[in-house]
Amino acid sequence: MSNRVLEVKHATMRFGGLVAVNDLNMHIDKQEIVALIGPNGAGKTTAFNMITGVYKPTSGQVLLDDRIITGMRPDRIAHAGIARTFQNIRLFKALTVLDNVMIAQHLRLGMTWVSSVLRTPKYRKTEAEMYNRAKELLEYMGLWEVRGEIASSLPYGMQRKLEIARALATKPSLLLLDEPAAGMNPAESAELTALIRGIRDQFHLTVLLIEHHMDVVMDISDRIYVLNYGGLIAEGMPAEIQSNDEVIRAYLGGDDDEA
Amino acid sequence: MAKMKKRSVILSILLLAVLVLVLFLIDGHASKYIIRITRLCAINIILALSMNLVQGFTGIFSLGHAGFMAIGAYSVALLTIPVAKKETIFMLEPLIAPLNTLTLPFGVALIIGGLLAAAVAFFIGLPCLRLRGDYLAIATLGFSEIIRILITNAQSLTNGAQGLKSIPKTADVWWCYGIALLTIVFIALLISSSHGRALKAIREDEIAAESMGISLLRHKMLSFMISAFLAAVGGGLYASYIGTIGPDVFQISRTYDILMIVVMGGMGSITGSVMAAFIVTIGQEWLRVLDGPLPFLSFWPENGVAGMRMVVFSLLLLVVILFFRNGLFGHKELTWSSIGNRLSRLAGHKPAKEVNGHE
Repeated sequence: MSNRVLEVKHATMRFGGLVAVNDLNMHIDKQEIVALIGPNGAGKTTAFNMITGVYKPTSGQVLLDDRIITGMRPDRIAHAGIARTFQNIRLFKALTVLDNVMIAQHLRLGMTWVSSVLRTPKYRKTEAEMYNRAKELLEYMGLWEVRGEIASSLPYGMQRKLEIARALATKPSLLLLDEPAAGMNPAESAELTALIRGIRDQFHLTVLLIEHHMDVVMDISDRIYVLNYGGLIAEGMPAEIQSNDEVIRAYLGGDDDEA
Repeated sequence: MAKMKKRSVILSILLLAVLVLVLFLIDGHASKYIIRITRLCAINIILALSMNLVQGFTGIFSLGHAGFMAIGAYSVALLTIPVAKKETIFMLEPLIAPLNTLTLPFGVALIIGGLLAAAVAFFIGLPCLRLRGDYLAIATLGFSEIIRILITNAQSLTNGAQGLKSIPKTADVWWCYGIALLTIVFIALLISSSHGRALKAIREDEIAAESMGISLLRHKMLSFMISAFLAAVGGGLYASYIGTIGPDVFQISRTYDILMIVVMGGMGSITGSVMAAFIVTIGQEWLRVLDGPLPFLSFWPENGVAGMRMVVFSLLLLVVILFFRNGLFGHKELTWSSIGNRLSRLAGHKPAKEVNGHE
């Protein structure tokens, strides 16, 4: 059994003449926290969308637990064990906090709608299990008290947490977080960092995140990949990345690159 | 919490008992006209709930209801009209076998009509449910018209434009309300189940729902087929209710009639649809006065203006949309605890905080 959770091999995503991601190679091992960083428009979210099946890569492969998942539908990929959050929070807005987390467990229901409607003993047992797990997750995230609230009525920080709780409810092996610290102040970011670490240890997860807050990235990541103009320009430990000339040039602009 | 639930159950049983009593009185003592409207209310409840399942709960903007109703109505008609009558009805071309020698009990015919509509919905859904929003509405509208035109032209099956008459009027108050009640219970159970939550998730955000492992096509198809089944059952009851059907009964305007009920009651509210079915059905009859002469208005044409009630009714609907943008109930349901809270608020007490628990 290899230790590799995710492997992206020569993945390229082309939209007409635009190459959004070019020949991306990356891998993530079990229980690692890996960050994907880069300036705006570098292709980070496109990479996420290729991994989660929203886009089918123009060429290249994505493997989860050594299984090819390239081109699979997003719901099949969720079944296979990848869960994600979105850059611009996508909760089920008009539904309650509890329902949001219950819905994310529907994929593990394993019953037809007939048993659902008839409330068979097996369904009721599963529903109770789903409820208990939702309770466990919401308590862990500190959201149990607001379980009856409508998701869109929560303050921003709580919505972010709810999105993570919802992703965890699908029982993923790999969690993808798209800018989890966006819009957070330093204190909140620090709290989030601790939370992500906690989740990794508690649920034995592997985490890939896109993030712009460098303090969060440097603090949390085991390894970092840096994208610029769709291509990988660096990878390594946080310390290596911090001192990498090309990364600094990509972010701050250098003598030969003043776009 | 358990106490509240117990109270709700008792209140619901009481309400049901009162309803049965009222229906019993209407069935036994009211005029034929009142009985007809009472039955139509129940049929509209079924049709509205069936449309609300796709539109309100799943967020699929489908406008194919008249077509599914037609399938149900023609199935019931062809399977229940007595054999002797069939010969006189099909004058131009004889009815094809085995339908010409076949009659089935009303309930069986309803179910067959429903299953047939669900099967048709499956094949319509395969291409259409991949579309979104307006495109889906136009595509389903088109299929509904195709069904109607097929019916108009399949002379030896449907008797074409001449239509079908002498449909046994089996759908009495008890049939209509029995099935309406079953529909309400079924939809309520479906919506509150894990599958129902998945449907609502699709309505809220397709991309997020798919990322959470919900197969969009499969769940939309589920909703679409169940909706078609119920629409056909409603259509079958309607056929038995009016006794005579033709292709023109199932024009697109039938779909809009139902849509009006759903919008008025609130997209995604079962109780809303039920209430609105009563309001719209009774309202449309009640306003019929406006179609006739209005002697107290000196400037009004002597014989009245035909269709005036629809003008007024449309204005009323506009008012509802303007002031209750989400219909009377929006996504919410009228429950005993919400009525209780409203009452205690009126009485000046602070409402008990509702915690949306599971038990």
